[in-house]
Amino acid sequence: MEPKNKKPPSQDRREFLSGVARVAATTTAVLGGAALGALARVEAKADMPKQAVAEDSYDPSKHRWGFGVDATKCIGCLRCVEACKRENDVPQDAHHFRTWVERYVYLEGEEHARIDSQQDPVNIEASGSEREYRFANRYKGMKVEKAFFVPKLCNHCTHPACVQVCPVGATYKTADGAVLIDHDYCIGCRYCVQACPYGARFFNEEKQVTDKCTWCYHRITKGLQPACVEVCPVSARVFGDLGDRESPISLFIRNNRVQVLKPETGNAPNVFYVGIDKEVS
Amino acid sequence: MPAVLDLAPYAGWVYPNETIIEWSVLIAVYPYITGLVAGAFTVSSLYQVFDMHRFKPVAHLALLTSLSFMLFVPLPLLLHLGHPERALNVMLTPHLTSAMAIFGYIATFYLGLLMLEGWFAFRPYIVEQAQQRSGPLGAFYRALTLGSHDVSGNAMHYDRKWIFALAVIGIPAAHGLHGYVGFIFGSLKSREWWSSDLMPLVFLFSAIISGVALVIAIYVGSCRLRRTPVDLDCLKGLACTLWGFIMVVIVLEGLEFANIVYKAREGIEAIIQYVTGPLLIPYFIIQFAIGAATPLLILTFLIWRGITGRALVAGVTVSASLVLISVMMMRWNVVIGGQEISKTGKGLLTYQMLIWGREGAITAAVLVFAPLAVLYGLVRLFPPSERWEAREDADTQVVGAAPEIASQPA
Amino acid sequence: MPKHILRLLVLIAGLAGFGLVAKAYFTADSFYQYGHYRGDSIKQIAAREPAYQTPRYCVACHGERHAQWSANSHKSVICEVCHGAAEGHPQNGKLPVPHDTARLCSLCHEAMPGRPRTQPQVEIALHASRQQCVVCHNPHAPKIAMGVAKVAGDPVEGKKRGVAACASCHGELGLSPNDTWPNLAGQHPAYLQRMLAAYKSGAQQDVMMSPLSEALSDADIANLASYYGSLRCRTAAARSNAGNAVAGKALSRNCAVCHGDTGLTANAAWPRLAGQKLTYLVNALKAFRAGLRKDPMMAGVTRGLSDTDIANLAAYYAEQSCEPTVQARSR
Repeated sequence: MEPKNKKPPSQDRREFLSGVARVAATTTAVLGGAALGALARVEAKADMPKQAVAEDSYDPSKHRWGFGVDATKCIGCLRCVEACKRENDVPQDAHHFRTWVERYVYLEGEEHARIDSQQDPVNIEASGSEREYRFANRYKGMKVEKAFFVPKLCNHCTHPACVQVCPVGATYKTADGAVLIDHDYCIGCRYCVQACPYGARFFNEEKQVTDKCTWCYHRITKGLQPACVEVCPVSARVFGDLGDRESPISLFIRNNRVQVLKPETGNAPNVFYVGIDKEVS
Repeated sequence: MPAVLDLAPYAGWVYPNETIIEWSVLIAVYPYITGLVAGAFTVSSLYQVFDMHRFKPVAHLALLTSLSFMLFVPLPLLLHLGHPERALNVMLTPHLTSAMAIFGYIATFYLGLLMLEGWFAFRPYIVEQAQQRSGPLGAFYRALTLGSHDVSGNAMHYDRKWIFALAVIGIPAAHGLHGYVGFIFGSLKSREWWSSDLMPLVFLFSAIISGVALVIAIYVGSCRLRRTPVDLDCLKGLACTLWGFIMVVIVLEGLEFANIVYKAREGIEAIIQYVTGPLLIPYFIIQFAIGAATPLLILTFLIWRGITGRALVAGVTVSASLVLISVMMMRWNVVIGGQEISKTGKGLLTYQMLIWGREGAITAAVLVFAPLAVLYGLVRLFPPSERWEAREDADTQVVGAAPEIASQPA
Repeated sequence: MPKHILRLLVLIAGLAGFGLVAKAYFTADSFYQYGHYRGDSIKQIAAREPAYQTPRYCVACHGERHAQWSANSHKSVICEVCHGAAEGHPQNGKLPVPHDTARLCSLCHEAMPGRPRTQPQVEIALHASRQQCVVCHNPHAPKIAMGVAKVAGDPVEGKKRGVAACASCHGELGLSPNDTWPNLAGQHPAYLQRMLAAYKSGAQQDVMMSPLSEALSDADIANLASYYGSLRCRTAAARSNAGNAVAGKALSRNCAVCHGDTGLTANAAWPRLAGQKLTYLVNALKAFRAGLRKDPMMAGVTRGLSDTDIANLAAYYAEQSCEPTVQARSR
């Protein structure tokens, strides 16, 4: 059947040409815009300045931070937990922790350890509030076969699962080995909280972003130690530069049989433990 | 001002930061809605791509259903985000190692694809309305025509090609859109309940049955409302589709659970305690027994006995409703259930769903049912094709019987 | 190609182009600088000011205390553990001095399963019942030298010496005739011994006490301390209007941790204040405040006291009864 809208050939050609022109114009505009955008990004990458920090003297590429925990020394005083909260504005309750301490107690006749930590209501009652922390002496008078304390914190893994799953690039690993969170970019989806096998991350309801231990990045870049390491009265926490053979952490690793938590995940944690036990994970 | 913290009561040993369950019911609603989108689109493509003409009565309806639910897909996520105003960060700098990063582009692409396919499918009607109607509605249709009222044979030829191409692209796009959700859970190392290679497949196939069930329910419901008889051949086709995919779902979900129990990795005691305790009813009773096994038995009976007529409609609708409940339960059991088992493998928590609030039960219910209202509106704007196809140009084919005659199954 | 397809393609291309331009425009400038994240974020995180300043910061003003602390067994516990982070100090005022030491110290020292045996720990109920820890333990030098308790002196010899050398100022029975010179009767022998030894060695300086003490032998000091410690104390009779004892009582809360609620303390390391001469107390506190009388702990606690505060405190302690049989022992 004859098509309804039959036009004279010249009109047809004109329409075709104008169509082509329109497509060409749009394509040029699109490609041009994309090229400009790509160029801007390429320029930024080409400069590639060294990772600099507030103080010009700090060069992240010259450090490789590591952390050690000696669970044979920890006395469970929880000064580290409170100091961290003070140093880093962590929410003052018993459900958000950048660092915490776990207590493992084997009673006589029991195969599995009884484990508790700062969110346990018995411990909250012993301290009287959720802003201060102490372990309740709940095993007083019982036959305790073995007991010890294990401080926990973010492991700043070499292959962090949390960085892998962040959809926008709000959490990242720095050149000096710290895993940090950009609070101005995080959208608060909490995928990273789900991905961390160690429970190190939490959601800050006030800021509506996720948060976790930063190894007190604002301190270590100024030559100080993380607050928890500073306040520990028994040197159960060790921090230092893995690249320096005589740093506390290098000595710690060299002089002890160290292990990491959940090695089977492949995350390659950078917090090294001495004196933990089969039930600690 | 800090938001109200819904602390999860727990038993056993859990990490201190786990006592707040982060992914709420909205994160269970999100894969549910996305699944309905993917499943409804699959029904539509049975006609558009695989040329199964028995599905013509529901093809356009399935497309509009997919579209109306797709419009609501970003909402549970936006309501959940801590900073929804930064949501576009995922489009600006998608971190491609994260399964979640792909959401921004795939969802946009798929929404565009659905709108485009709908536009092509309804173009003759749009053109007709643009010419006949006046007022704001007329302006709406005229804008949609993009200034061209060409419904000649040549134009329709192009349209059909586009519909086919879009439907073909749409199948992997829809399955990608939903499969990645399963991968979000399945790829994590932190939770034994989620970590599984089968997770994307489990999500995908349960999405398909939920979509088919939704189309069944909406089709039967809309026939009731319009007071037209149900096309029994079409319904039987949908029933067979549902039947086949339910079997796949049961196998996959069963396999996944069996794997966990058989491998009995560290933490299995907590999982068994959980599944035989708090999850007994939601998992074994609702998801499997009532929601999968029962519809399967009903459909087997219907198909084997060649039941037809009102009994067929009733049986299939009941099965579809049970499947819809079961798939929602499955999303809940995965998302909430996974978080109720502690990462320590030595403790269990209890999710306390808020009723009100941004992430409460009422919000979840609204998100699931509001698309139906949108669908109603869309159907009013873009009615079923049998109403206007007869008025098309002579050189386009009129497929399918006239609405008044209900066809007998072959 | 039909018109509508063409227009559709143009529309799609236009939207895509717009999207690409918007993406380039809205992406943060420092993104991709070091990796898939905002480069500026590192600077922002590192720029935060530390809260804990470490003892290196405290030593600048608190040299003596720091010296005492770092020479004793609590040197592994930094100042800020007990006193709070030093951020904003001294601009924002003093750092808190913990009052409920029983609560604070038990965090580390309560005997608990799981604590390594190397950690000094006690069963609180059996060790000190409800007494505050600082009644006996100086937090900056916590190990108690047991020698403090016993003074091996002969009170009889001490009486002979005392009547000759000391009674003209301190009274026949160790009760001073005026308000300036302190009562010695009933004072802790160990404290008296420590003070005399300090005057003798020059660690403390007083225009009258120094030459007098230099003339004493160590045996004399021990004897005098035993003698005066054995004497019966008596409270000064008259109440002076020189200070407000009620206000003083409120202030004394800070002193009670060492000196007892009413100035009666069981720990011989610190002097009993109950019933002591008012003017003497005023002068002593001012001397501590000015650093003329040297004691790191006293220097710290008097630093913020005004003259009125000192007068009030002195008035309070002066009117307390020092007779142990009458007064309840301080807890």
